[in-house]
Amino acid sequence: MAGGMDLGTGGKSGKKPLDTTINLVPFIDLMAVTIVFLIMTAVWTQLGRLQVSQSGNSASEEAPPQTQLQPITVLITEKELKITVGGAQLDPMPITRDDKQRLEVTRLMDKLKELKTQQPEQNAITLSTEDAVRYEDLVRVIDTCIGNQFPSVSVSPASS
Amino acid sequence: MAIVAPGKRYGKRIEHSKVLSHAGGHKMLFADLNVTPLVDMFVILVLFLIANFSATGEILSMSKDVQLPEAANTEELVMAPVVVVSKEQVIVSGTVIGRVDDLTREDYLNIPPLEEKLREMKKQFEDLHNAANDTGAFKGDVNIQADKMVQFRIVKRVMFSCASAGYGNISFATMAKGEEKKTETASR
Repeated sequence: MAGGMDLGTGGKSGKKPLDTTINLVPFIDLMAVTIVFLIMTAVWTQLGRLQVSQSGNSASEEAPPQTQLQPITVLITEKELKITVGGAQLDPMPITRDDKQRLEVTRLMDKLKELKTQQPEQNAITLSTEDAVRYEDLVRVIDTCIGNQFPSVSVSPASS
Repeated sequence: MAIVAPGKRYGKRIEHSKVLSHAGGHKMLFADLNVTPLVDMFVILVLFLIANFSATGEILSMSKDVQLPEAANTEELVMAPVVVVSKEQVIVSGTVIGRVDDLTREDYLNIPPLEEKLREMKKQFEDLHNAANDTGAFKGDVNIQADKMVQFRIVKRVMFSCASAGYGNISFATMAKGEEKKTETASR
């Protein structure tokens, strides 16, 4: 019998009855309260963060260590992306968008992969961004850089 | 002629008498409800909800004015002050700092009221932790929750103000998409 315990009072032998049942009512109450609490506090949108640093605003004010690595800079404008490695500028990539108006990053990914194979030790990249660039496009480029093994992303305003 | 199951057949008078019935011919009053499937369902539901529990909702509150951009290579959000940049205004912990239209027109590199507010928040944090002898707890983390259509000219000013106020670890809040989401913040 659910919700109660069969005491098994019958019988004259005095043995303990074997057919006992557990009272499930408090357990069900606890479960119901837990479910309501968890559903009310649940976050249905998954949020994340992309860590960036601001180029030229180093808190330590120390000069960067002298290395053989060539600095990589991506200039983001409204119309194109220009990659500069050391002092050499690569071919500019015109900005194209998909049907959802998101920035197409396939060519940028290929270039970054190529640069990573050339300089496997290089982890830093600077994104020089023009004022009129949409925040969504900047985030997409940062995401692409981090996804292509450039975890240290600095953002700086493009010099006009 | 009607078809009947094989076996003993009593007469109508005996069938209606108390001889063959269990409780005097009446329905039993005690009915058992089988709660096992209900308990099973509750257990599965609780396990699913606990496995998917996320505390990021306490850090950022989503609003209709701010549509976050999507990113795949994200880390987990950290508890830090949040600067909200919607299409219309800049807000820090419920305080409106300024209107985006006005900020777009100005040529300054920083946003003085934002910087002031962040300095105040930093001081409060440090006072609180100094009182508890917990020096060095301030890491300068700040989350920027900006709308995806906002121009970089506003984000740039917000970033500069954060850095000037001592919040150098800037994170852009994004919607995490796909299975590439990293959860390596524990190592940080």
